[in-house]
Amino acid sequence: MGDTEFDIKSSYLKFLEEDPEITMPIAAIESLVTLLKVKQPSTSSELIKLTQSATDTLKQSIPNAISLSAGCDLFMRFVLRNTHLYQDYESCKRHLVENGQLFLERSKDSRNKIAAFGARFITDDDIILVHSFSRTVFTLLNHAVEKKIRFRVIVTEARPTFQGEIMAKMLREQGVPVNLIVDSAVGYVIHKVDKILVGAEGVAESGGIINHVGTYQIGVLAKSANKPFYVVSESHKFVRMFPLAPDDIPTDQNSLQFTTNDEEIGNNSPQIDFTPHEFITALITDLGVLTPSAVSEELIKMWYD
Amino acid sequence: MLNRKLKRRQISGSYFVALETCQLLMRVISAARWNNTNQLIEQIRQLGKTLINAQPREFTCGNIIRRVLAIIRDEVYETTENENMTPMISSMFSLLSTNVEKKEPIAPPVPTNPRIHHNKNHDLRSIIIQGIRDLIDEISNIDDGIEAMSVDLIHDNEILLTPTPDSKTVLKFLLKARQKRKFTVLVTECFPNRTSIAHSFAKELSDAKIDTVVIPDSHVFAVMSRVGKVIVGARSVFANGGTVSSAGVAAVAECAKEHKTPVFSVAGLYKLSPTYPFDVENLIEVGNSGKVINFSESNLVQHADITNPLFDYIPPEHIDIYITNMYVFIHPFPVVFWAKFY
Repeated sequence: MGDTEFDIKSSYLKFLEEDPEITMPIAAIESLVTLLKVKQPSTSSELIKLTQSATDTLKQSIPNAISLSAGCDLFMRFVLRNTHLYQDYESCKRHLVENGQLFLERSKDSRNKIAAFGARFITDDDIILVHSFSRTVFTLLNHAVEKKIRFRVIVTEARPTFQGEIMAKMLREQGVPVNLIVDSAVGYVIHKVDKILVGAEGVAESGGIINHVGTYQIGVLAKSANKPFYVVSESHKFVRMFPLAPDDIPTDQNSLQFTTNDEEIGNNSPQIDFTPHEFITALITDLGVLTPSAVSEELIKMWYD
Repeated sequence: MLNRKLKRRQISGSYFVALETCQLLMRVISAARWNNTNQLIEQIRQLGKTLINAQPREFTCGNIIRRVLAIIRDEVYETTENENMTPMISSMFSLLSTNVEKKEPIAPPVPTNPRIHHNKNHDLRSIIIQGIRDLIDEISNIDDGIEAMSVDLIHDNEILLTPTPDSKTVLKFLLKARQKRKFTVLVTECFPNRTSIAHSFAKELSDAKIDTVVIPDSHVFAVMSRVGKVIVGARSVFANGGTVSSAGVAAVAECAKEHKTPVFSVAGLYKLSPTYPFDVENLIEVGNSGKVINFSESNLVQHADITNPLFDYIPPEHIDIYITNMYVFIHPFPVVFWAKFY
């Protein structure tokens, strides 16, 4: 056992900070791998226990732990499965630790794969509505630009994080004409839009998505205006979770906190919401273009095979 | 050959295309030479590409090629599994698992003993050809499987509507049901492309003592309130459940939706395509506009745009049940269900 004290949370945050290209689940996997590297567990049960406790700490210490927990679960499942698969414990551990860097590259690869699938959805003269900032959506649109498709994008500013501004800036740098609108104007523009692309923090078992707040209302508007609503997400963001309503998301945001004091928009304004599967036309993932119901199929394949 | 035939539309209709593709593949495989299976798969893939490019809207062609490729891959897996190959883990897992070191040492032996493979070639060839034969059998007996379900799905004294009189499968479906049930069928006229087919379809039904009514296409909404089920013959069904069928069907499906009338889409398994309809507008072929209005009426033809689309795309939410020769699906089914065939 290693003597060094290892803080899983700070390592996770460090990974996220160092590389802006990395997603939360991948950062979680990375930090778990680093943990194993530092601690050097000597038996497989120790290894499992270590991963388990680190996963729990990580999930508890990070406020928005949905997509992170997808990464942890994936890694845990991988560990459990492989300890059964390998007779030889040493080679298993070596493999887990050595390939940390590879995971990263793979996750970036999968984003390119999604872009290649998804760019086919975009045709000349499209007006695309994009909510908030998402690396996968950006990669996809960038891919379409490289394919010399001419399209315009409406980006929502995405309060309270204002991540839409980042998206707009990055798209404009690529030469895409962008109109940045306030979130409340989505209803106004929805009839002019051809399709909607959003990213996801996590994809639930039902095929619904957890994403930056405002996604749900765009989904409802899209449905009523009969516009296709596509979710662009890597498959490592699939979470084993079955929320039925926005309240079921495990966060501490509470929209039922009332006060008569004069107060600015603060902690009680929700940051993420849940969009049920019936508002989603299709999910563009690295496994191909899936219907929402195919998500549970993929999860079952992984957990119950 | 088939390539040219497809381009000139000497063969059309998914059934014939499917059979022709099978025959062609059989000939190709019996003549092909290969050192390892990857070469064979590559050859067939190339062939598939040319065929699909010859007629991009004929999806059955691609479906058949994919199924044959699946047969080959299956066979290759089985033979190499003895050489201790780990089974493929879930695709979602690949993020982590493709770097399983175990695979590394296993990959090389496959090319290093080509001699063993050489002996197996002959075996493999006959197994694949047998596989294609089975596929042909399946395609030519497709109606049997679908027919068998018809009695369960049609009630006595029910009124059915079919907007696709050109579908042989629908015809057989109805004829089979008549053996046990008594019902009425409304047939749309399908102006302008399939009017005569609609008439002969109606004739065949009435010969079998089914009450048959031919209605004009514009009449569909008016009668829909009395219709119990709409039966649609599909040309192809996509991964999301969207269906391509004859022109006019989308409007019928829309009417059915309005009246909450169930819509059945009837299709052989070979029409189910694992691809996703990215560009719906390009799926629809446009035919001879002279059929809509005769070119002799130059006064009108000169001054108006006349189009004659041949097909329609029906979105998945307008179809309630898909009936195939093996399974009956309901709407939000996962494509993975049939992806195992490809």
